[in-house]
Amino acid sequence: MTEIIKILENTEGLSGYKINGTKTVSYELFFVHRSLETVRSTDTSSKLVTVYVNHDGKVGDSSFSVYNSMGAKEIEESVKKAVARAKLVSNEPYDLVPGEKLEASVPTNLDSYAPEELGRMIADAVYAADTVPGGSINALEIFITRSTSRVVNSRGIDKTQTVHHVMIEAIPTFTDEKQSVEIYEDYRFAEFDAEKITAEIAEKMREVADRAKAVKPGEGFTADVLLRPLESMELVWSLADDCDYATIYQRANLHKEGDNLQEGDGDKLNVTMKGIIDGSVSSSYFDGDGSSLTDTAIIKDGVLCGTFGSSRFGQYLGVEKPSGVLGCIKVEPGTLTDEQLVSAPYLECVSMSGIQIEPYSDYIGGEIRLAYLHKDGKTVPLTGISMSGKLSEVLATLRLHEKTCVYNAYEGPVSLLLKNMEIL
Amino acid sequence: MPFSEYLDSMREDCRGLVAELGQYFDYVSILGTDVRATVYRADRKLSMVREGAGECGFVIKMHSGRSFYEYSCDSIEGDKKALAAKIAGSVKIAGELTERQIKTREVADTPMKKDFSRENDFADYTDSFLLGVCKKISDDLAAKDEKVLNAIGMIQPFTVSKLFVTKNRELAQYYGWVNSYAIVIYNDGKMVQARRIDGAGSISEAVGKTLDSLDKVIDLARHLTKATPIKPGVYDVITDSSITGLIAHEAFGHGVEMDQFVKDRAMAKHCVGQYVASPITNMHDGAAAAYSVASYFFDDDGVLAHDTQIIKDGILVAGLSDLASATQLGTDPTGNGRRDNYRRKAYSRMTNTFFSPGTDKLEDMIKSIKHGYMLFETNNGMEDPKNWQIQCTAEYGIEIVDGKLTENYVSPVVMSGSVPELLKSISMISDTFEVHGSGYCGKGYKEWVRVSDGGPNLKVRVKLG
Repeated sequence: MTEIIKILENTEGLSGYKINGTKTVSYELFFVHRSLETVRSTDTSSKLVTVYVNHDGKVGDSSFSVYNSMGAKEIEESVKKAVARAKLVSNEPYDLVPGEKLEASVPTNLDSYAPEELGRMIADAVYAADTVPGGSINALEIFITRSTSRVVNSRGIDKTQTVHHVMIEAIPTFTDEKQSVEIYEDYRFAEFDAEKITAEIAEKMREVADRAKAVKPGEGFTADVLLRPLESMELVWSLADDCDYATIYQRANLHKEGDNLQEGDGDKLNVTMKGIIDGSVSSSYFDGDGSSLTDTAIIKDGVLCGTFGSSRFGQYLGVEKPSGVLGCIKVEPGTLTDEQLVSAPYLECVSMSGIQIEPYSDYIGGEIRLAYLHKDGKTVPLTGISMSGKLSEVLATLRLHEKTCVYNAYEGPVSLLLKNMEIL
Repeated sequence: MPFSEYLDSMREDCRGLVAELGQYFDYVSILGTDVRATVYRADRKLSMVREGAGECGFVIKMHSGRSFYEYSCDSIEGDKKALAAKIAGSVKIAGELTERQIKTREVADTPMKKDFSRENDFADYTDSFLLGVCKKISDDLAAKDEKVLNAIGMIQPFTVSKLFVTKNRELAQYYGWVNSYAIVIYNDGKMVQARRIDGAGSISEAVGKTLDSLDKVIDLARHLTKATPIKPGVYDVITDSSITGLIAHEAFGHGVEMDQFVKDRAMAKHCVGQYVASPITNMHDGAAAAYSVASYFFDDDGVLAHDTQIIKDGILVAGLSDLASATQLGTDPTGNGRRDNYRRKAYSRMTNTFFSPGTDKLEDMIKSIKHGYMLFETNNGMEDPKNWQIQCTAEYGIEIVDGKLTENYVSPVVMSGSVPELLKSISMISDTFEVHGSGYCGKGYKEWVRVSDGGPNLKVRVKLG
């Protein structure tokens, strides 16, 4: 990076620069059933250089990658080309994030183990759950990653952070004489806990066995639908998009500050964008500009109350202290209790193809691969169904569970209840 | 721009590292990649000229005579003996996992030396000109209607250079592709987004198509502001070529990726030789099957591009494989081994996937429907090859009543249901054909590669919601 900085500082015509560097080391295991098919390791890096040119009362920027293949002469040529490109770009002026220095690591226990040993322990923890008669894990991929990111700019920013995380992709499967069914499991963590992994996979093994018993209802019906954390996160994140400085600046936001998203009698959403959530694989101390991150409330009692995003677009909107790009989202718990769920019929979504949320079309829905219909004290697994509803009506009557959990980039209610969804 | 000078200069290094790693492994291949992309974009407030998602690095694939190993790195220069030792050490396995390594057949290393190249017109255009075109798209769209909140013009050309070296094989390829976009955000009491994406092997063709389509983008935006949700139900449906491609890709294509066969993750494994679609249905995939975004000359395993017929007259006849799955199944790889980038593993992946044209006229197909919908423009889709359920989302549909398209638009439209029921319901196939080369495809929720899909118009019966 020192050589690149030297070249940048000796190039005429540029007003500023930023370099984003990442070094990633990974160890990966790929299983077919219980057999190890492929072992991979990676040791790669990337460097993205952005140059800024002030011209005619405007600012232009352009970026390029520096690869290992590039010598000093090629880097010099790339910088000159980027300066020429930046002069073609005429955007409203903004300042680079001013100088701060930081070197940090997101706490983890993953760095306590040799990668190949950790890989073996994770595989053992996953396969320890493969005890259901008729069940199997037909595929397993384990990615153990250490990533060190550094941001340097011409105004003195020099920040480095190291994060560790593991991603497991597992395919719990159940086979009987009639059929074979599976569900998809994407599980990510920043702290190794063998028992927790086994418990997570064991739950999926139970669910896939239920998918084999699941029936397709004869006709459509209306039901309250309970979403789990993955789909809950996606629903809330779709609302947060309207609060992003860049979305607002480009006039792509559907709602604005002060708009009430929940004119109804449901639990009111209280949402905060955050830089760090303990246990989340999306936690970060700074964003790609090197901005320190300021947690920001964006929805209070169902009303949009704040905005967040990058330094550049924050400056465009006149925000005095932009929050930085916040990668985690926290939702306050609501009033829905397990007891209330026991007493009322509802459809619990276990596995979806992917929830579809279309704010422009006021739509929420998707194909459900496995759901539990809880009714009259009985639980019936259903499959081959889809749900659909109006997003605005769902938000108005939304119920939030009183218990919370951390899932990927989300901390919030363990479940959300959507009222009166059409099931077909 | 010709084949990467850097990769060309690394041929001898590749040969040297293959030789050194041959001390440790029975089979060694090296794939060097140099992908360069540029993004030109302008909207009502912002403009941009910058590099897009490129890559430059190496992935070394090794086979022990039993199972596979891979190592990804930025450079293979320097002491080859030391690098080989480092690579061998980095893929070591702990404890009893060694005993659980899979046993595959040996990897064939068929001799071949060849360089492939497909020319393009990218060097004919300056940065200034292409950014100017983006601004023109944005300006022209905005000038057409005061209800346009924002208008975006975007051009994304990219070139691919890849070098593949084994003990007996040395292949090089160079090709390019460009996508061109026109997008409006429009508000007429209801905010909507309408877009047009064109792809081609030359900038002149892609940009020309986009510039010719601006009136259609505005017209679509106006209609979408009036669109209503569809009443969920089972309908007779005509697909446009984009939705035909979505069905080919999501509903069936993923299910014949043969790495899913080895994992017993695909129903199709048990259906080879059986009717899986209506007897008038034919489906292909292959980098050599059509000219589009995925038309490479050899795949990331060094296997030459194929044209694979997947469905012949309604019968499933073949799947798509990468090297690893083919060695486990005892079949020949079909040129479908693809990586997200050099940092990632190769899997069996689709390329250009499509249904073949039939003999029906589109107007006859529409006339044949009492009440139903014609669906347009892919939004997204998700596969379920094990259980053959689908979820495919179209941007919008137009209601058909008494054999005529109406002015009633619905949006969005989600198709779901059983794959065999959908494919066996194909009752008419148009004599038209178009493949769309602007898509990305994930495996599960990761491993993104560029793909195309398409075909003719289909008449099907399917659940919409």
